[in-house]
Amino acid sequence: MLSALILIPLVAALVLILWPGKLEAQTAKVVSGIGLALSLALIGFLATQFELATPGFQFEELLPWVEPLGLSYRLGLDGLSLPLLAVNSLLSLVAIYISEPTLHRTRLYYVLLLVINSAVAGAFLAANLLLFFIFYELELIPLYLLIAIWGGSRRGYAATKFLIYTALSGVLILGAFLGLVWLSGNTSFDYDSGLAAALPLAQQISLLVALLIGFGIKVPLFPFHTWLPDAHVEASTPVSVLLAGVLLKLGTYGVVRFGLGLLPDAWMALAPWMATWAVISVLYGSLAAIAQTDMKKMVAYSSIGHMGYVLLAAAASTPVSIVATVFQMISHGLISALLFLLVGVVYKATGTRDMTVLRGLLNPERGLPFVGSMMILGVMASAGIPGMVGFISEFLVFRGSFLIFPVQTLLCMVGSGLTAVYFLLLVNRVFFGRLAIAPPTVAPQLDIELPSVTWRDRAPALGLAVLIIAFGLQPNWLARWSENITLALHQPYQGFVQARTQFAPTAVPAVADTLFVDPALTLPTPVLPVFAAPSVEISLP
Amino acid sequence: MTKTLSLAKANSHPLEPFIQKLLSAEALLPDSENNVIEVVGILKSYGVVLDAYSKNLIYIADHQFLVLFPFFKYFNGKVTLPQLLRHWWHDRINFEYAEYCMKTMLWHGGGKMDEYLDSDDFLQQCQAAVAAKIKTNLPIRALNGLFPDFLPEQVRQLAYYSALGQFWRVMSDLFIDLSDAYDAGKVQTIPEVVAFVKAGLVAAAANPITYAVEINGTSYELLPKSAGLTFLMDVAVPYVEAVFFRGTPFLGTVSYNAQANQISADQGRFEYGALYADPLPIGGAGIPPTLLMQDMRHYLPDYLTAFYQSSGRGLDDVRVKICQSFQKSMFCVTSASLQGLLPHPADTQDPRERAANHAFLSGWMDRLATSRLDIVQL
Repeated sequence: MLSALILIPLVAALVLILWPGKLEAQTAKVVSGIGLALSLALIGFLATQFELATPGFQFEELLPWVEPLGLSYRLGLDGLSLPLLAVNSLLSLVAIYISEPTLHRTRLYYVLLLVINSAVAGAFLAANLLLFFIFYELELIPLYLLIAIWGGSRRGYAATKFLIYTALSGVLILGAFLGLVWLSGNTSFDYDSGLAAALPLAQQISLLVALLIGFGIKVPLFPFHTWLPDAHVEASTPVSVLLAGVLLKLGTYGVVRFGLGLLPDAWMALAPWMATWAVISVLYGSLAAIAQTDMKKMVAYSSIGHMGYVLLAAAASTPVSIVATVFQMISHGLISALLFLLVGVVYKATGTRDMTVLRGLLNPERGLPFVGSMMILGVMASAGIPGMVGFISEFLVFRGSFLIFPVQTLLCMVGSGLTAVYFLLLVNRVFFGRLAIAPPTVAPQLDIELPSVTWRDRAPALGLAVLIIAFGLQPNWLARWSENITLALHQPYQGFVQARTQFAPTAVPAVADTLFVDPALTLPTPVLPVFAAPSVEISLP
Repeated sequence: MTKTLSLAKANSHPLEPFIQKLLSAEALLPDSENNVIEVVGILKSYGVVLDAYSKNLIYIADHQFLVLFPFFKYFNGKVTLPQLLRHWWHDRINFEYAEYCMKTMLWHGGGKMDEYLDSDDFLQQCQAAVAAKIKTNLPIRALNGLFPDFLPEQVRQLAYYSALGQFWRVMSDLFIDLSDAYDAGKVQTIPEVVAFVKAGLVAAAANPITYAVEINGTSYELLPKSAGLTFLMDVAVPYVEAVFFRGTPFLGTVSYNAQANQISADQGRFEYGALYADPLPIGGAGIPPTLLMQDMRHYLPDYLTAFYQSSGRGLDDVRVKICQSFQKSMFCVTSASLQGLLPHPADTQDPRERAANHAFLSGWMDRLATSRLDIVQL
C-alpha cells in the first residue's frame, strides 16, 4: 500500500513521458493533478486505517533488495511521517496548480515535479537508512534542474550552489549512516531505535555531528544556510513553494528521525549545544530577514529562523517538544508555502518583489486586496498570532522546551517577536500607503493599472489559509497522529528531561507535560487534554 | 531709449500653452473622442446626483433650521419605514458628500457672501430668527446665553447649505442639458462642451442668491435680495476655489502631518481640491470623494459603462475610473469658468486688455502647476 505513494506519481510521470505528440500544459496539469490527488486520497485512506495507539511503523512493507549491503526496500508509516506525507502531496498539488501554463519544456517540468513528490514520499516512508538516503539524493536532481532550467536570471549560480551544498549534506549523512551500522556491527541498515545502543559515546557524538551538519545544511541552519535565499530567489514560485513547504522538512525530519531517534546518548550530550545553535539560527535568520528588501528573500530568511525552532524543540526532547517538532514542520510548511505563493502572485502582477518600490497593494480597486489580506493573514500566522497554526506550533515549541532550556527558549521567543517586526515591515511597505510599483518619477504618468488577480490564482492561497486557521483552532486534528510516536521517541530521554527540568518540583514528572496524550494511555498524572494544562505547571514555584 | 520686452514675452509662463488654449476658446483637457465620452457621460451622472444633493441641501436649510439633532435630515421630510430600512441598508445617495463640500466652502469662505455673513445686517436678521426659533426651548436659550456665537455660526452654515443647493440646482440642470445636447449630436468636442458650460454659467451669472426661513408664519430673510449676492461671483467662484482648488486634506492612504508642516498654515495654499485629487485612493474606506464616486456609479449612461467595461479591470475599479473621468470633466468646467471670468473678451485686440487677460490666466496657471493637469493630457 505504501509503495503506491511512491509509485503513483512515478506512473503519472511515465504517462507524461509517453504522452503522444506535443504535451499541452493543461493536459500535463490534469494528469499530474490526478496522480497527486490519488496520492492525497490514499494518504487520507491510510489515515483512516492508522492506529493512533501504535507508536511504531504501520503498514510496513519489506522486500529484500541488496542483502549483502544491508539495503532492503522497507517502508513504514508512523505519526511522524503521516502528516508530512500529506503536506508533501498537498503542496505538490498546489505547485502543479500554480505552474505557469506558458512554461517551455512542459513535459520535463511536470515530470520533474512528480519525481520530486515521489522521492520525498519515499524518504518519509523509508524504514531503512540506505533507502532513505537514496530517496534523499533522488530528490536533489529534479530540484536542481527545476531551478537551473526554469529559474531567474542567476539560476545557474543558485542551482549549482544548491547542488553542491546538498550533495555535501548527502555525503555527510551517508557517512553517518555507514558509520552507524558498521561500528555497531550490524549487517542491515533497517531502522531500529536500538541501533546505536552499544556504541561508545564518542563514536555516537561523531556520528551525530555528521548527521546534524548533513541535515543542518538541508534545514538549513546557520551557517550552512547560504544556498537557500539564492535558491528561493531564483526558483519559480511553484518550486519555492515545494522547497520551503516540503523539501526543507526532509532536513528536520532527518534530525528528529535519525538524530533524536537513533543516537539518544549523544543527543543528550549535545542537546544544550543544539539548543544554542537553534537560538543562533533563529536570531540570525530573523535579523537577516529584517535587512532584506526582496520579499522572497525575506520569506526565505524567515524560513531559516523558523526552522531553528524545530532544532530547539528536538533538543529539549520532552513529549511536548517532540510533538512541537512535527507541528512546527507542518505549520511552517503551510505558512511558508502560502507566503511564497503570495509573493509569486505579487511578482506576477507587478513584475517586482522590491520592497523599496512596492507600495499600497491593498488598494481595494487597483491593487491586490485579496492577496494583501491573505498576506497579512500569512504573516500573522507566521508571527504566531493565536487562532492560527503558527501560534500552536510556537507555543508548543516554547512550552515544551522552556523547562529544559529556559535561556535558549527565551531567546528563541525573541526571534518570534522579530518575525512580527520583519513581516510588519513587509506588510507596511508593500501593502499600505499609496499604490506604487515603481519609484516616483518627475514625468507625469498614468495611474497604475495592475492586472486583476483571478479566483484561479486566489484559490490555492485560500485553501492554505483555511488549513492554517483550521489547525490553529483545532490543533488536535494535527497532533493526534504524532502523540504516540513522540512518546516512543521520548522514552530514552525521560531521565534526561527530568534531570534538566528547571523551575518545576521533581515530584511532577515532566512527562506529564504532554498535552495531547490520553492520560489513560501511559501517564499516571491526570492531564487536561487542552491548553489549560501547561499554565498550571508554569505557575508552580 | 530703453528697450522693453514685448508683453507676451515678459509674461511667458511654464503653462503658456494652456493660457493660449483658454484664450482661443479651447480647453485644459485635450479634445479626443474618449474624453468627450468620459466628460459628457460623467457630467450626466453628476447632474443626476447633484439634483439629489441640491434638493436635500435646500431641504435642510429650509426645514431643518437649527434642528440641532437632525436625525432625519437626509429624508427630505418623508420618513417611512421602507425608507429608513433603505437608509440603514445604505441603498441611498451619500448626502454626506454634499455636506463635505458645503463645509469646505464655509471653511474657505471667499466672495461677498462670506463678507455678508459677517455683517451686522446678517447678524440682526439671524438673531431675530434664532430668537423666534428657540423662544420656547429653555436649554437652548441657556446655551445661547452662554455661547452667543454658537447658533449664529450654525445659521451661517445653513446659509451655505442653501447657497450650495441653489448653485447645484443650476449646475445639475446645466449638465443634464449638456447630456441632452450631446445625445442630440449638438455637442461633439471638448471645446464645445466647454462653450456649453460657459454659456450656462454666464446665463446664470446674475441670478440672485437668497435665503429666507419661515418660523411660526414669519419669514426671516437671512440672505435678502438686497444683499446683492449673485450666482457666479458669490457662490460659483468661491465654490470653484474651495472645492476644485483648495479642498480638504481628507483622511486617506496618504497621511498628512500638520505638525510637520505638511499642511500649509495658509489656507490659500491648500492644494487638495478636485483638480489635484489622486484617484487611486478612491475606494478606500473613509475617503469622502469615494462617496461621490459611489453615487455617480448608479447613474452612468450606458455608453460610459460600456467604455469602462472595455478597459483594464472593467467595472471592478469603476470608482477609480469615474474619479479620473470626473477630474477630466472638472478641468472642462474650470476652463469654462476661467473663460467666463476673463476680465476682457478673449479675442480682444487691445494690447492692454490682452495683457490683463494674460495676467489673469497666469495667476490661475501658477496654481495649476501642481495639479493633475499634466496627467489628464496623457
